Amino acid sequence: MKLSTLISEDCSKAAVLFNSKKRILQYISELAQSKIPSANQHEILEALLNREKLGSTGIGKGIAIPHGRLPGLNNIIAIILVNQQAIPFDAYDDRNVDIFVALIVPDGENKQHLETLASIAGKLNNKAFCKRLRQASNDSELHQVLVEFDK
Amino acid sequence: MTREYEGVFLIKNKLGLHARAATVLAQLSTQFNAQVTLYQGDKSAPGDSVLALLLLESSQGKEVKVTCTGPDAQDALLAIGNLIEDKFHESE
Repeated sequence: MKLSTLISEDCSKAAVLFNSKKRILQYISELAQSKIPSANQHEILEALLNREKLGSTGIGKGIAIPHGRLPGLNNIIAIILVNQQAIPFDAYDDRNVDIFVALIVPDGENKQHLETLASIAGKLNNKAFCKRLRQASNDSELHQVLVEFDK
Repeated sequence: MTREYEGVFLIKNKLGLHARAATVLAQLSTQFNAQVTLYQGDKSAPGDSVLALLLLESSQGKEVKVTCTGPDAQDALLAIGNLIEDKFHESE
C-alpha cells in the first residue's frame, strides 16, 4: 500500500506545535472530521481517547499511531503530523513522541487494519524515512517525502 | 553456553497481532534478560520492537514461532506463550 495515497496532502501536517496528548488528538479529530462529514468531531475524539485508555499507541522510537474505529465509515482516513518537539505520550519505551500517524478505521475491518498497520510500520521502521519526516518544513514537503519513499 | 528455547503458538484473538497486542508483547519481552524473536513464514521480528512485530501481520489463525536465548530465556518463552494463548488479555 502506498502511504502517499493513503495519506492525502491536506492530511499531512509538518512542524505543528502541540504540547500535550489531548491537544494532538483534538487536532487529529478536527482534521479527520473534515474528511468524514457524517461524523462529528467529538465522536472521533472519543474513539481516539478510548483507544489510548486501553494502552498508549506510542509504539517506540518517537512514533505514535493513534487510531480509533468508527461505525459506518467506508474507507480508512489517515493523517500524518510531525510535531516541532517530542511530547510525553506514555510510549512503552518511555521516549517522547513527535511523529504521529493517525488512523480512523471502519468498524470490523480486522484483516485490512493489520495490513494497513504493517505497511505503515514498514515505512516507519526506516530511520532515513523518519529523519526526512522530521526535517520537512511545510506540509507539501512532508507529503513529498511520502511520495519519494513510495517509489 | 546458553540454550535456545523455542515454541510455536497459535494466534487466537480476533484482532491478531495488532498495535495493542504488539505493544503488550514488546513490554513483556523487555522485562526479561533474554533475546526474543518471533517468526512467521519468512518474516522475523525482535520481540521488543512494536514496529517490527506489526510487520509480521499475524492475524487470527496464524502460527508464530517464538525463540528465546539468554539467562531468562525459559521464563521469557513461558510468559510470551501464555500471553499469546491468553489472547493478549483480550476478550475475543
